[in-house]
Order: sequence, then C-alpha cells, then structure tokens
Amino acid sequence: MNNGPLIVQSDKTLLLEVDHPQADACRRAIAPFAELERAPEHIHTYRVTPLGLWNARAAGHDAEQVVDALVAHSRYPVPHALLVDVAETMSRYGRLTIAKHPTHGLVLTSTDRPVLEEILRSKKIIPLVGARIDADTVAVHPSERGQIKQTLLKLGWPAEDLAGYVDGEAHPIELAEDGWALRPYQQQAVEGFWHGGSGVVVLPCGAGKTLVGAGAMATAKATTLILVTNTVSARQWKHELVKRTSLTEDEIGEYSGTKKEIRPVTIATYQVLTTKRKGVYSHLELFDSRDWGLIVYDEVHLLPAPVFKFTADLQARRRLGLTATLVREDGRESDVFSLIGPKRFDAPWKEIEAQGYIAPADCVEVRVNLTDAERLAYATAETEEKYRYCATTATKRKVTEALVAKHMGEQTLVIGQYIDQLDELGEHLNAPVIKGETSNAQREKLFEAFRQGEISVLVVSKVANFSIDLPEATVAIQVSGTFGSRQEEAQRLGRVLRPKADGHEARFYSVVARDTIDQDFAAHRQRFLAEQGYAYRIVDADELLA
Amino acid sequence: MLRPAPGTGAANVDGMSSTQRPRTLAEALRARGDDALRALLQARPDLLNPVPNDLTQLATRAGTRASVVRALERLDRFTLQTAEALAIAPDDCTYETLRGLMRGDDAEATDAALPHAVDTLRGLALLWGDERLRLIRTARDLLAPAAGAPSPTGLGPTVSEATAAVPHAAGQGRMSPGRLQQLLADAGLPPTHDPVSAVASLTELFQDRERLGAVLAEAPEQAAAVLARLTWGPPYGEVTDVTATQAHIRWLLDRALLLPSGPKNVVLPREVALHLRGGRAHRDTEPTPPPVTPTPHDPQAVDGTAAGQAFAAVRTTEELLKHLELNSPPVLRAGGLSVRDLKRIAATLDVPENLAAFWLELAYAAGLLATDGELDEAYAPTPAYDDWLRLPTQERWTALATAWLAATRTSGLVGGKDAKGRALAALGPELDRSLAPEVRRRVLELLAGLPGGASATPDALLERVRWERPLRGNAGPDSLRADLVRWTVTEAELLGLTGRGALAEHARRLLEAGTPVEAAAATLAPLLPAPLDHVLLQADLTAIAPGPLQPHLAETLNVLADIESKGGATVYRFTPGSVRRALDAGRTAAELHEFLAAHSRTPVPQPLTYLIDDVARRHGRLRVGAASAYVRCDDDALLSELLADRRAAGLGLRRLAPTVLAAQSDPSALLEKLRAMGFAPAAESADGDVLITRADARRTPPRSAPTPVNDGPPTPAATLLGAAVRAIRAGDRASTAVHRPTVPAPATNGLPRSAAAETLATMQAAVLTGESVWIGYVNADGAASQRVIGPVRVEGGFVTAYDHTAEEVRTFALHRITGVAELADDPA
Repeated sequence: MNNGPLIVQSDKTLLLEVDHPQADACRRAIAPFAELERAPEHIHTYRVTPLGLWNARAAGHDAEQVVDALVAHSRYPVPHALLVDVAETMSRYGRLTIAKHPTHGLVLTSTDRPVLEEILRSKKIIPLVGARIDADTVAVHPSERGQIKQTLLKLGWPAEDLAGYVDGEAHPIELAEDGWALRPYQQQAVEGFWHGGSGVVVLPCGAGKTLVGAGAMATAKATTLILVTNTVSARQWKHELVKRTSLTEDEIGEYSGTKKEIRPVTIATYQVLTTKRKGVYSHLELFDSRDWGLIVYDEVHLLPAPVFKFTADLQARRRLGLTATLVREDGRESDVFSLIGPKRFDAPWKEIEAQGYIAPADCVEVRVNLTDAERLAYATAETEEKYRYCATTATKRKVTEALVAKHMGEQTLVIGQYIDQLDELGEHLNAPVIKGETSNAQREKLFEAFRQGEISVLVVSKVANFSIDLPEATVAIQVSGTFGSRQEEAQRLGRVLRPKADGHEARFYSVVARDTIDQDFAAHRQRFLAEQGYAYRIVDADELLA
Repeated sequence: MLRPAPGTGAANVDGMSSTQRPRTLAEALRARGDDALRALLQARPDLLNPVPNDLTQLATRAGTRASVVRALERLDRFTLQTAEALAIAPDDCTYETLRGLMRGDDAEATDAALPHAVDTLRGLALLWGDERLRLIRTARDLLAPAAGAPSPTGLGPTVSEATAAVPHAAGQGRMSPGRLQQLLADAGLPPTHDPVSAVASLTELFQDRERLGAVLAEAPEQAAAVLARLTWGPPYGEVTDVTATQAHIRWLLDRALLLPSGPKNVVLPREVALHLRGGRAHRDTEPTPPPVTPTPHDPQAVDGTAAGQAFAAVRTTEELLKHLELNSPPVLRAGGLSVRDLKRIAATLDVPENLAAFWLELAYAAGLLATDGELDEAYAPTPAYDDWLRLPTQERWTALATAWLAATRTSGLVGGKDAKGRALAALGPELDRSLAPEVRRRVLELLAGLPGGASATPDALLERVRWERPLRGNAGPDSLRADLVRWTVTEAELLGLTGRGALAEHARRLLEAGTPVEAAAATLAPLLPAPLDHVLLQADLTAIAPGPLQPHLAETLNVLADIESKGGATVYRFTPGSVRRALDAGRTAAELHEFLAAHSRTPVPQPLTYLIDDVARRHGRLRVGAASAYVRCDDDALLSELLADRRAAGLGLRRLAPTVLAAQSDPSALLEKLRAMGFAPAAESADGDVLITRADARRTPPRSAPTPVNDGPPTPAATLLGAAVRAIRAGDRASTAVHRPTVPAPATNGLPRSAAAETLATMQAAVLTGESVWIGYVNADGAASQRVIGPVRVEGGFVTAYDHTAEEVRTFALHRITGVAELADDPA
C-alpha cells in the first residue's frame, strides 16, 4: 500500500485528496483521461469514461500510461477489472480511421476487419457510407463526416479522424496586446485547442472566454464565423474584438434578426440560424457563404438541437466551443463532444479565483418563511403552478427589497424568471426592468447607465443570463429561475464573478421559500456550484435582516 | 486364460514365491507390498466401501465396471492413450509391442513417459503382469472399439472380429466359409479346412509388413485414397451397396482390406489400419503435459491487489447480508431466489446479476445465509453470521475462501437452463457440481506451481486440466469443465485469492496441505487497510471516508448518509432523506452534530449543519411520539393530582392532552412507582405504545453449512488405509491359508451346497476363466433346480450367465444360488 493521493473506486470514479503533497503531480497525470466531476474543498472527484479514454488516445496517450498513472498514485490496490477495462476500452480507438483518399474522397478504413463488418451491418451506418472499396475500406459521404463519427462513437468504435481541416480563407488577425496580455490559462486554452484541432474550452464565467476566442482567431488567421446566443452578446463580442485585436469595425459583420452582414469575421445568433421560413432553415447558406477557417460556438451548452445538425456537416472546419459549464439539462453533452470536439481545456473555478482572475464570491441562500396564508395557498395550488406560486410570493419580494436596501449603494442585479414578479419588484425598488420585450437599444442604454453607476439596481429577466458584460455588479439577488437548472445558476453567479476594481468580494443571494418546491429546486441548482467549490451558506431571512 | 484361485488353485497360491508369475490380478495384488496396496486404495477409494474381505474380493471389485470407469476418468491424457493402445493390442502383449503402438513424433518424450504411464495403470490395478502386460478385461471392454462405440484411437475391429459379424440375407452372422475361402484364394493364400484357420491365415498376412505392403502397392489410386481416408478413423465407410459397388471398393473388398460391416457399410480392419499408420495406435501421442506458461508480475503488486480484492469480498458479503437481514427474499416453491429478487440484490450491491449470484452462493456455502424454515420460507442470515461479523477481517476472509474451495455449489450456472429447460435459480437446487472443488483446487495448484507473482492464461490452465483428466467433465469446447476453469479464474480474482491472475501469498498458504488457515489469515492481515476513525466532510454535502471505517463509525454513517460510491474509499452523501432516517433511528440533531464534529478531520460545513437542523426542525413538527410510557385516565382531575404529586417527579410525566400523560420512564418502572404511590394502575398492552422504530434483523434457526456433494467416497485417511490393508491381508490369509477342500454338502435333493463367500469366489473365478459351473438354484417360487451355467459377469449381487440347461443367457440372483460345484468335464 503506498501513500498516494488518489483512491480508485470500483465505479470508475477517482478521488483525489487535494491537500496531499503529490496532489498536483497526480492531477497532471490523470487529467488527460479523467473528467473532473466535482471539485469541492478537500477531495476532488474525477471520472474515467470511455469518451475520456478515447480523447486521451486521440491526444497520443496509450493505455499503459493511463494504467501507470492510476497505479502510481493510487493509495489502495487498483481493482484489476478496472485496469483491464481501461486497456480494453482504449484499444477500441483507432481501429477505424477516417482519412482522405486521392480518388474516393473520404474513406473509412479499418485495421480490424470484423469491426468494420460489425459496424457496416448497423442500420445507422448504412445510409452514411458509400461503396465498399476493398475488404478494409469503405467510402464515406463527405457530408456525413460528423454524423458517422457521432454514430460510431455511440456504437463504441470511435473513429480517428485523420482527414484534417481545411485552412479556409486567410485573413490577417492579430491580438492587440497593448497594456494587457492573455492570461496564462487563456494562453494554455488557446494552445490546447489549436493542438487538438477542434474542441471545447471550459472556463468559469468572467474568466475571459471571449479572449480565448480572439486568441484562437489570431492563431488561425482566417475568416471566422462566431455563433452567439443573442444580439446583445453579438455586439459585445464585436466590441471586444475591435478592442483586443487588429480587426476593425468594418471587418466584423453582424448576422442577426436586424442586420444580415457577412464579413471576414461574422457574428451570428443561434436564433437567426434556427429561424424557419416555410419549414426550411433559410439562413443556412451562412455556413457556406464564405470559406470559413474557424467556427466559434459561444455558450456551447446552449447550442440548440438544429445547430447540432448543421455542425455535423462542418467537420472539415476547425471548431471551438466556449462554455462555463458542460452541464446540459438535456444530457446531450456527448453530442457536444462528438460534433464540436473533446474538452481541450478546463480549470476548476476555485483555481482561477485563487489566481485572482475572478472575484471571490459569497453565495448565500436566504430561506424565507412564508406566512400561514401563503402556505395554505401553496398547499392547495395545482402541481404545475406550485413553483410559480412559491417563487413569487409577496414575502419573498419583501425580503428581496430588504436585501437591496441592505446593499444600498452597491451595484445590484435582481434576477428572476417571472415577468410579473420582476415588474412588481421594479416598481417597488424603483428600478428599471430588462426583459424579452425590451428593445436592444434600450437594453444597451440601461447597461451602459448601470456600468457608469448612474443606476445602481437593475431588474433582469433570463434574457440577461448570458454574455452581458456588467463589470461592476457586486451583488446579485436571484428570486426565481428555470426550475432546477444548474447551468443557469452557474451563469447567474458568473454575473458577479468578474474581478472588481477594488477587489472586494461579490455576493450572490438566492431567495428561497422554505419548505416548498422552491427549496428543492434551489438545492438542485446549487449542486453544480457546490461541486465547483462554491458552497452556499444557508441563512434564515429573519436572521439576515435582523 | 489361466485357471483362477478357488478350489485346488488356492493352495498353490498361498505358498507362491515372489519369483512365480502371477496368474490373475488377485495374485498380482497379493504379490505387491503394503505400500502399493495403500496407494491403490488411496487412488481408488471406492474400493474401500466396504472394506473387502480379501484380495480376491478386492481384485473383483477393482474390475467392476463402475469402479473402472471412475479410475479411467482420473487418468491423464497420455496414460489414457496408453490404456487405449493396450485395449487394441493383443492381450498379454509385451512392453515392446506397446512401445511400438505408442510411438509418436517425439520418441524420446514417449520413451521417457511410457514407463510411468504403465506404472500408473499398474498402480491403479487396471493393468497387471510384468513382462506380459494385461489390461483388465473391463477396461479393455470399455476402451476397445465396439460396433456402437468407436475407439478413441480411430481403429476398427480386427479381421477375426469383423468376419465374425458380417451381414447376410438373414441378418448379422459369421461370414460364410465359402466367402472366406474365396478371400484366401484372392489373396493368393492356400485354402484351409475351417473358417478359424482361414481368419488366422488372413490375419497373419496382414501382420506381415512385406506381404501386405506388396498387396497395397498394387492398389488402384482410388482405392488407396479410400484407405487413406479411413486410416485415422473413423474406420467405417458408407457405400451404396456392399454387394454391388464401384470397382475400387470391390478391389478392396476382394482382398479383405475392407470388410463389410452392414448392408451399406464397410470397415477397415485393425491390422490393415495399423499397417497404414506405421504401427501407431494414435495419430498424436501427448507424452508431456501442455506447459502453463507463466507471465511474471511484481509479487508485491499481486499480493496487494489480491488483498484489496479480499477486503472487497468480505465487505461485499457483509453488505449483502446486511441487506438481506432487513429484506428477506422469499424462497421460490421450486427452491432458490426469484430473478426479480436477484436483480434487486444486484442493484443493491451495484454488480451484475451473475456476480450477485456468486456472492449469494458464497454466503450460502459459508453457512452465513440460509432459509429460515418459517411457513413463508425466506432467506436470512444465520446465527453464524453474527459470529462471523465479530471476527477480524482476515479471518472472515479465510472463512469465505475455505468455503468456496470446498463448495460444490456453482454460481456460474445461475441463469442457465437445466436439462429439462428450467431456469436455474440462485440458491436453488441443481447447482451442485461435484467436479467444481476438484477443478478449483487443481487450477489454483497449477498457479501455485508457477514462480511467485506469475499468472497464466485461463486457456493454458484449461489445456492443462484437460490433459490431466481428459475424460472428466466431458470433452468439447463448452463443457462444464471449461466453464469451471473460467469461473474459477474469475472467482479466485473476485475473492482475492489471486491478484492480476497470479496466486497471492495468503492463498498459497491456504492451499498448502498441513498449513493451518490461521497462517493464511496472518499472511493477509498486514496487507489489509487499517480501519479509519475519521471522514472528510465537504460543503457539497458529501463525506468521504478515505479508507475502511471502524465498524461503529460506518454503521452510523450508513444511516445518516447515502452511499454514493464504493471501493477503497466510500463517498457518502447527506440528503434530507438520509438525515431524517438518522433522526428516525432515534438520533437527535445534537447527537448528529457531535458525531460529525468528533469524526470529521475538517470543520463541519455550514450547509451540512443547517441541513441537519432544518430536517430536525421539521422532524419535530409532527410529533409522532418518543414517549416510552403513558398514563391514561378519563378523570383529568386525577391526572392533575398525579402531576402535582412530588413523588412522581422522577417519572418525567408530561401532559399531552387533558386525559393523557406521557412518561419518560419505562412502563414497568412507571407501574411500580404508581403502585407504590397508592394508585391502582393497570398496564395496557403494547399496541398503543409507540416506540422508536427499528427493524428487527432476521435470523434463521441455527443452520449448518451445506455439505459439499462429492461423487464417490472421500479420500481415505492414512489410518483408515492402514487398517483396511491389514484387514484385507488378514482376510486373505484366512481365505487362502486355512483352505478346506470343498466338501459337497450331503445332497438332500441333489443340489450342490457351498458357503455364500465361496459361491461368489467360484463364480468370479469362472468369469475370469470362462468355464462353466454347476449350480443349485432356487427360483422365486421356491422351486429348486440344478443348472449348468457359463458365468459372464458378476455384478451387484447378480450373475449373468449362459444357461446351458435352458440354452440362453440369464441372470441369477446370487442369494438364490444354493451352491456351486465345478464340472468334472467340460459340458461342450
């Protein structure tokens, strides 16, 4: 029995004791193949998945290295079955390769004929492949490159894609590093992405994902298509790119509901891409309108299902996904991996906080006691109305108002789900409300005013969940949300994590009605952040406001 | 054949010197030393049941079919091949003849192994004779080719056997003398007077290499091809019609190189096949066992891995039984566990169903789990489980490992079907396989034979086991034995007897004969992780035990939190449900706080503290009750009086309602005290009293572990062997030394009379010599008769014999035979 920091569990989770002297070495050794699942204060949990092992193979690691890493750092003997399974799983990778062929275009080749026979008998593969060229080779329709990779992954025989990427139309892009530079982790993220060709970079909100995108563009030096969630976010990308790179306003086009510009660098919204006219996606030509050298997906965890489909056709282009969390409420994480690429970089939130790049945050769940009348009303509410009712009670509103008052003078965001509730809050707090129907111009005006400190309280609906840049928000109060959405919670916390000028701690309040479904959802929402090391304190409203 | 012992022969045998050649197996045994006899009885323990009276009886018993089959099953492949070769060789052949038959590709290895193989057969009393090797007749019958059972050698019948059973118009029968003479003429041999000499003449021709070679050299190409196809067996070929067939077959039939064996079948005579084979009985002999190639591992890593697994095995078993004590699954009517219950248990243990079946069977074999014998029968842990729990981990492991080694229960069969197509249920009937312990031990012994830390592939192990016992557990790729070897390899790994496929040191101790199990436990002990007294609490509401926990700590945590991940460490998650469970089990919030603070290495996170308080707060809201006694009275004034009474202060009375008081003291104390105070309280039945809920752990009545179902008797102990040999010797001396000539009893009604033992001995002797005897027989109606019979077989109290009187083969019950006498002259 050696005294390593790692404990290998039979369910293929790895427990890493972070305070152990060898923890860092161990983390580096297991990072290539294990997914960090939870990173609370003492023991981090990694998981060994087939996908992780295949990604490690793709990155040039072999089974022996993986086994060595496990055996060398493990405190207890590693279950033999697990080692065998690792070797077996990793050996499945690379038996199939997708490569270019001088005469047949794209071909799928196998070094193991029975495997090829097996997969060619799959109903899902048949429509994706063309003629059998010889015993070990079969032609693949170039348009199905992504689809076949995705399908093969599901069949458990991941294909190694050696077909490479097109360079795309060259366009000079440089980072304008005047008085700032890419942070070390951003640099690593760019390198990790470029080395791997395509993939996803996971960074906490506020850690500067836009700059990773800019860095990738400067490395690619090619025309770029950037897909973002909404128009406001598109404008901010543009603003940031103009500021941080050699690109000028004219080189960057916006492709949204209002404008349809196609420039060397084009920023499009998911919404416009997924708009159907007469049953067809009318804006798909955007993908083919230029010979794009790089496609950037912002907030990849929100990627709408149709975009998955389009992405499958773009396998020959470099793809970069950016996100704060790969938690998808629809469980399609593996689609992200197979279509955009494996995770190329991620860093625990607390680690970046420790480096001072994101603000420390104090997360507080405020438990509110409902009045007897409210409790009775809640108890008799229809099941589907229960959450709405308890999330929008008057008692919660009063507590929220008290909290705002308590942080008088600090830049405060009040975030909620239900428009009625937000309007009411706006009225009581005498603060402007930004919601879906607020025009973009109005939104930007209000944001600017908030940035300048002209207004200190802003009530926002979920439209502001993503990609709005509010550097000086120091207090966020969440009054209601999309049920138990963990990624929404992460995004909202991100609103206050941007480093503050005076370096003081941000606060994130969740106001929750006690003993209701609101409380259960809150527990679910908080789980991801707790696992990232952002543990909530739970405080009774009476105690807090006393 | 030589004449056997009884009668006049016995007197000679008694005074026989060692230089005299034995004439029967009994005599051969008699000439052997005690050690050789002991070895024989050790190897064939079935001969000891019951202890034979003398060596004649021993020899007879050694020749019974069942016993010979048993002995043959335990031969290794080469020895078996040797026996097979002897079975097709002429009786009393020489060693050189045998050597010629056994010539393989590797002559040196054959020469090295053959004497040993012959010695083995001789030691097992399957073979006797020194210069002339005699395979006992039963073995010869079992191994030699017969019409229905082709020989493993692929050789057919001899010329004389084949000509003796040739089809003709009226059915099977001898080849006609005319046809034989025709064959002789075709072969260019002089005619003879009778069929017997004709056959001998043909046989002689076929055994002459040069002459037969000359005949074969002239064979047409197609005929040669036919011979080549039949040479290595099976020796039977099919033709359209033996009387009218193609020219090349005709050519062969005319020269008796093929003989008809049916209307549409021909057979290659043994002599011709041997000639074509160059005298070999087997295409390949396997004089050396297939090697078990070792793959080296670091012995420390092996021991460590195995110890880790041993620990996991003990833990899994404990977890399984913990689960079963609260959720006793019912016994199916046909016995065993339902598939649904097995699935449930598999889900609880987080293992596949086949593994769940393995752990269940292991616990059952170790006597830790049994049926409770209630009306609605269910499985539950036995009282032995409580004792087992108290043992240190290493001893718990040895208890499991030894039970597994000896068990005939075979969990690998679960989920399969029996011969009648019924599914085999875990813990159900039909799961005993007597072969299992033998295979398990042998596989582990093979591993033990490798250098320390070395593993071998299951295939290599299987090949070796197959070589050692080709007849046991059938041949064929999916035979039981192949499965057993595979299961043994996986189960040994699961149990922590092996690590990375290599035998661990503690398992080696367990296998060594004469080493106490404690030694194995002692070897294992230092490799097991020491139990910890702390956990790490985290703000995401998990607790992590970075190793095994001390039992009391684990017990509390199991209640207070849900287990999320198991292995070297345990990850617990606190949920409102789990905390409530702890509160339900009678813990208070304060106790829980104290418990966590005491056992956490890290500060207790605020959300956890809050969670416990929050659950405790709600837990208390609906007061279901934690009172241990109550006082009920319709007159609330009386209750007020009682409350006000100073003497009642110690009872902790509290008013719940105007007419109900709750008390902190237990009912008996309360009753006593109230009576002392001059009240006249009546005890109420416990039905109304709400106690802290805690499920009762179930136990079966005392149960012993299932006895392994081995076929055949166990290997006898040395003392028994010694005693048996002495007894046989004594009996033998008695039967041979003090020989009284058979005095024919005064024939009251002309029936011969003899003692039962003598009747039996004479019968057996007659079987061996093939002679006929005169018997007196009383039939089922009590009618006595005299018969002259030629005994063929004596088995199970019956004599099968050709009854010359009735001219047919009949079976006579030995106990109905009044006596036996030898015939003065051959009846024929």
